[in-house]
Amino acid sequence: MRSFYRKRAALLKKIEEEKNMKKALALLLSMVMVLSLAACGGGGGGGKTSLNVIISQYGNYTQEWWNQFEKDFEAANDTVDLNIEIVSWNDIYSVVSTRIQSKQQPDILNISGFADYVADDLLMKAEDYTSPDVKSKIIPSFWESNAIDGTVWALPILASCRSLFCNMDLLSEAGITAPPTTWDEVLTACEAVKAKHGDSVVPWGLDISTDEGQAAFSYYSWNFGGGYLDASGNWALNSAENVKAVEYIKQLIDSGYCNSAPYTDTRYPLQDAFSAGTLAMMIGPMNMVSADSTVNYQSVNIPGKGVGLGVCDQLMVFKKDDVKDQDARTAAIRAFFDFFYNCERYSDYMVYEGFLPATSDSSDYLASNAEKHKVGGSDATGDSEYFKTFCAQLPTCQFYPMSMAKWMDVRNGVIEVEQQVCQGSISAQEALDNLQASITG
Amino acid sequence: MKENAKPRTLNMRRLEPYVWLLPSILLMGVMILVPIISVFQTSFSEISKSGVNRGFNGVTNYLWVFQNATFWNTLLNTVIWTIVVVGLSTILGIILGLVLNEKFHGRKIVRAIVVFPWATALIIQSVIWKYIINADYGALNALLYKLGIIKSYVNWTATPGQFFAWECFVGILVTIPFVTFCVLSGLQSIDTSLYEAADVDGASFWDRLFKVTLPLLMPSLTVSTVLNIIYVFNSFPIIWTISKGDPADKTHTLVTYLYKLSFTNQRVGEAAAVSVIGFLILAACASVYMVMTLRAEKEEE
Repeated sequence: MRSFYRKRAALLKKIEEEKNMKKALALLLSMVMVLSLAACGGGGGGGKTSLNVIISQYGNYTQEWWNQFEKDFEAANDTVDLNIEIVSWNDIYSVVSTRIQSKQQPDILNISGFADYVADDLLMKAEDYTSPDVKSKIIPSFWESNAIDGTVWALPILASCRSLFCNMDLLSEAGITAPPTTWDEVLTACEAVKAKHGDSVVPWGLDISTDEGQAAFSYYSWNFGGGYLDASGNWALNSAENVKAVEYIKQLIDSGYCNSAPYTDTRYPLQDAFSAGTLAMMIGPMNMVSADSTVNYQSVNIPGKGVGLGVCDQLMVFKKDDVKDQDARTAAIRAFFDFFYNCERYSDYMVYEGFLPATSDSSDYLASNAEKHKVGGSDATGDSEYFKTFCAQLPTCQFYPMSMAKWMDVRNGVIEVEQQVCQGSISAQEALDNLQASITG
Repeated sequence: MKENAKPRTLNMRRLEPYVWLLPSILLMGVMILVPIISVFQTSFSEISKSGVNRGFNGVTNYLWVFQNATFWNTLLNTVIWTIVVVGLSTILGIILGLVLNEKFHGRKIVRAIVVFPWATALIIQSVIWKYIINADYGALNALLYKLGIIKSYVNWTATPGQFFAWECFVGILVTIPFVTFCVLSGLQSIDTSLYEAADVDGASFWDRLFKVTLPLLMPSLTVSTVLNIIYVFNSFPIIWTISKGDPADKTHTLVTYLYKLSFTNQRVGEAAAVSVIGFLILAACASVYMVMTLRAEKEEE
């Protein structure tokens, strides 16, 4: 028996060692990463200015476009050594915050949201590196949407617009001839689809998951007349309209009109279901229907007030105090943006990824020339009609209040509110009151 | 000279093992201690959302965690998760191990099948189960519907409790093979003469099970249980893949909760505090076990 206990103790030790091995490996890996990064930062010598750029992965072929961009840019600017890294949306926030912690922040970053970086005084003002030409091209509302107290901190890289998608075949079979325009009509349409198609079709797609539940909050609250901010720009999360909106979401779930797991279903399986014809209606981005789908659909304004959700991601520039030649760095950054926002190159990227341009010259250009450019990863070309339609919708869109310092807390807060209320553990009024108190308190 | 040389070589002899151990001791010290210290430090620091360390902030992070109802719910979940998954998979694993120890036709094939869930990556199994139980397009509903067992699709995950139950189910399913193999190896080391002796004494099936098999299985069961408690307590993929702790953060365990705090909510300091709490809980469990082992060892002596 004694030998058994000894063995047991030895085994426990072994367990502990194994655990530690894993930790050790993880640390080793991260050290290697940090070292190689440091090597990146130190490299590119020979009088060249090196710029590290992080770009978010918008599609499966993002890398290819930026590889070409890197080549073209370096050919045109031989004093700049450009390093472009594509990072997936799943990791980008943790990647960036890890780099900031180790003082290895990129020079240029493409991400969504910048207020936290401004709060830590990490960013350069957009005016300092934007050429007059680029500034004049950017659609004014986009330029201003990146301002905090009058100072612009980032440039818009692209835009997209969310609207209501309806499968017209499923609706007309259920006796609904036109897409719903009011929230009551949505309920009627859902009931009709449910009565006609039963379990085989989900009437209404809803995503209040951790991934993007704030989008749902925006669709409903804005179109019930509420929203995140009041007229004077202060948080107004517990307004009567917002309460109604959240109660409406609960009603959709309780009536059995939605997909069964709105708490964990992200937008992507819903989009797949819509493209496959098993989901009748959902709110989504303009490029949500898959290219090979045969569904006969219409994209219309979101019911109620008809306010769409505009999504506009940003490009921002980090300060780097340790760089000796600040002027050369700023010049390189300015050259980068001049090169990127070049009408044809920028338009090519918009067609490639299927998003809407944030510059006025590209909007005009794409309204008739989209066919000259290719969609990423295929031989298909752009569709001018598509750009014409959706660029026209953009002005009706509202954007997340991303320049507000507490936006990330509000974003996570409204998702929590939706989930709690729809679970029935708390009333909409109470949940929103709590959120408002915790944000403004 | 000779007299001097002797103790020196002896000294070297005594030192020798430590010299050989030095690299690994050094490596372990740096690789284990540094991350632990860094997590402790982070848990007492204010980390901004963009990742800037704003310095020491006392126990603020811990207070935030303790005042958060989600944390207590998560702690309760973690206890339930660990006890249910380890407990049930141990019981089922023993039964399966006993069955597989009997001689029957095709035993080798069955044993191979039992390994499958263990050999498949956890994340793959979790994704598969997520889609099996999905109410709208999941395989389970489709199958039951086609067989005529259900009249309309059932929402298997209507409440957080149901979600959590499914996650426990998947946890049990993937843990059973490990227990089964520990039990099998234990069974094979039991001397058959013991059973012969029991037969001679006229022992029944249950007598043999409870008085011969189980006591002799204890060493392997202890090993599997201790390992499982550590693995299951720290298990991340099942819950993160199936529910991400939703709805309303009601299906988290400590590990998924701290991941969400850190990487979704950008609350690195608070996440480090939760991490330290989890570390202390496991350390407490481990030391209880160590004390028990040492005490038992002393009694033996």
